[in-house]
Amino acid sequence: MSSRRHFNPWAFILPGVIAGGVVLGVPVVQAFWISLHRLRMYRMHDQVFVGLDNYARLLQDPLFHLSVRSTLVFSVGCTILSVIAGLAVASVMSTRGIRGTSAARFFMAFYLVPFVATQVVVGMMGRLYVWEPEYGLVNFVLGLFGADGPMWLISQDTAMWATIVTNAWRLTPLAVLIFYAALATVPEELLESAEVDGAGGWRALALIKLPLIRYHIGFVALIQLTSAFREFDTVFALTGGGPGRTTNVLSLLVYNEGISNSDMGVANAISFTMLIIVSILSLVYMRVARLGDLGN
Amino acid sequence: MAEHGGLALRYLFLIGWMAICVLPVIVMLLGSLKDSSLFQSIPQLLSLDGFTWANYERSFSQGNYLHFLRNSMIISFSALFVVLVVCTPMAYGITKLVSPRARNAIVFSVLSTRFLPYVVLALPMYLFFARVGLTGTLVGVVLAHLAMQMPFIVWLMLGFFAGIPTEVEEAAVIDGASPFGVFWRICLPMVLPGLNAAAILAFIISYNEFLFAFFLAGYDAQPLTVGITRFVGGADVGAQYGVVAAYGTLIILPIIVFALVVNRYIVSGLTQGAVKG
Repeated sequence: MSSRRHFNPWAFILPGVIAGGVVLGVPVVQAFWISLHRLRMYRMHDQVFVGLDNYARLLQDPLFHLSVRSTLVFSVGCTILSVIAGLAVASVMSTRGIRGTSAARFFMAFYLVPFVATQVVVGMMGRLYVWEPEYGLVNFVLGLFGADGPMWLISQDTAMWATIVTNAWRLTPLAVLIFYAALATVPEELLESAEVDGAGGWRALALIKLPLIRYHIGFVALIQLTSAFREFDTVFALTGGGPGRTTNVLSLLVYNEGISNSDMGVANAISFTMLIIVSILSLVYMRVARLGDLGN
Repeated sequence: MAEHGGLALRYLFLIGWMAICVLPVIVMLLGSLKDSSLFQSIPQLLSLDGFTWANYERSFSQGNYLHFLRNSMIISFSALFVVLVVCTPMAYGITKLVSPRARNAIVFSVLSTRFLPYVVLALPMYLFFARVGLTGTLVGVVLAHLAMQMPFIVWLMLGFFAGIPTEVEEAAVIDGASPFGVFWRICLPMVLPGLNAAAILAFIISYNEFLFAFFLAGYDAQPLTVGITRFVGGADVGAQYGVVAAYGTLIILPIIVFALVVNRYIVSGLTQGAVKG
């Protein structure tokens, strides 16, 4: 230990902290600073300090309210769906006779496909080949069962559901992987003794396995929630925010205001509000789920 | 443990899930090989009628696929290089912090930046890069990707470095190795699987990324993800579904095949840090 005196870990950390400060810290501070100004693109010299005016305008803007609501519905929907699907797949993958086999490894490789699939392409693929009412994959399968599928992305009633399912499809592999690895840590003796006591199958899953991996469920849910909250690529390519404004999540609203509308002040106010919402969400969540000691 | 349902039933479930994962991609692939003027039903897609390579030819010629592919490769490889050079020593240093308070504080800040909405970064970067003349350059996109990837890669490498037993390093120190020597010659080789996983994931994330590239890259620096949206939005392509499918396939299929080949690194990288013991 004596030679440790010469070793300062900060020498390794500092370059990263500086880089992070430049590429992460500076833009966040700037975003807040710009949000306090009236600033329109192409008229950059005309930057006027307006205080919290942009925020006040947002609070009264029905389009903003609509976006906040659809973003919350979208992120919570994606989280619930991907966690449930992930638990289902990982549980079956973990059963005796499947876990550890080469078949399991084969399945797992293909289960990664949605995770590595380019999001904008997933969006286009979803629009043209999955949710297309007449020829798409979903309504084709529904037709096999004699059901008449809805208009999905074209209808205001169903577009959000299709968007949630598409994004949850992309998020599920992470849940499957983490739950599968977590379930491997459940001691086999525990399950065997439970079985002797008559708690096998579903009851073992509900009473022993799920409580033991609750920490992982909480962690995955947090990751999914925050990544769905900021999602842009998939929604942009799948619906572009439509029909009407039903799937116009906050990231898209920022794009509408900032780039299309070239109102940088308001756009930054929206994105900074997103930052506040996601911080509150994750702080409260980490408290409730006791994820505070993550990484120790 | 008594299992839920018979083995056959469970396999059926797993095959069903596999179908959900890959069928959309297969349908698009079939669509890309068809005359692109109209939609085709699933049975029509399965037949050989109207088979054509024309959609691919148009993706290469009018869609300028190779130009965008080149940008995608430059961006992804540079981003993965920069990200690893910055994040690997940082993660190593964090695991060596003696004070738990300092370690917790820095781990917490790494973790919380992982939740940052990307638009918060993209708008100021857009304005800043416009001011310093980095808009439409590959450098700007790579810097944005560094911002996007840093929290995740540091997090991932933390888990791998934490797995190294301290005795190994102490032995090296006793043998007279310098702090950097311990890091470079002892620890780095031990986390090589982790480095592979980080490099592969960083590459995939950069290759697939759209938002930053869309905001920051002018025509010259556009990667494939932006290239396809501009191309299929163009008037001359219009509603040419087959061309969209072909271009999409050209983007998505290489990365899927790559991921299938290196899948065990992706699995280890994604589960690292979330599952201990």
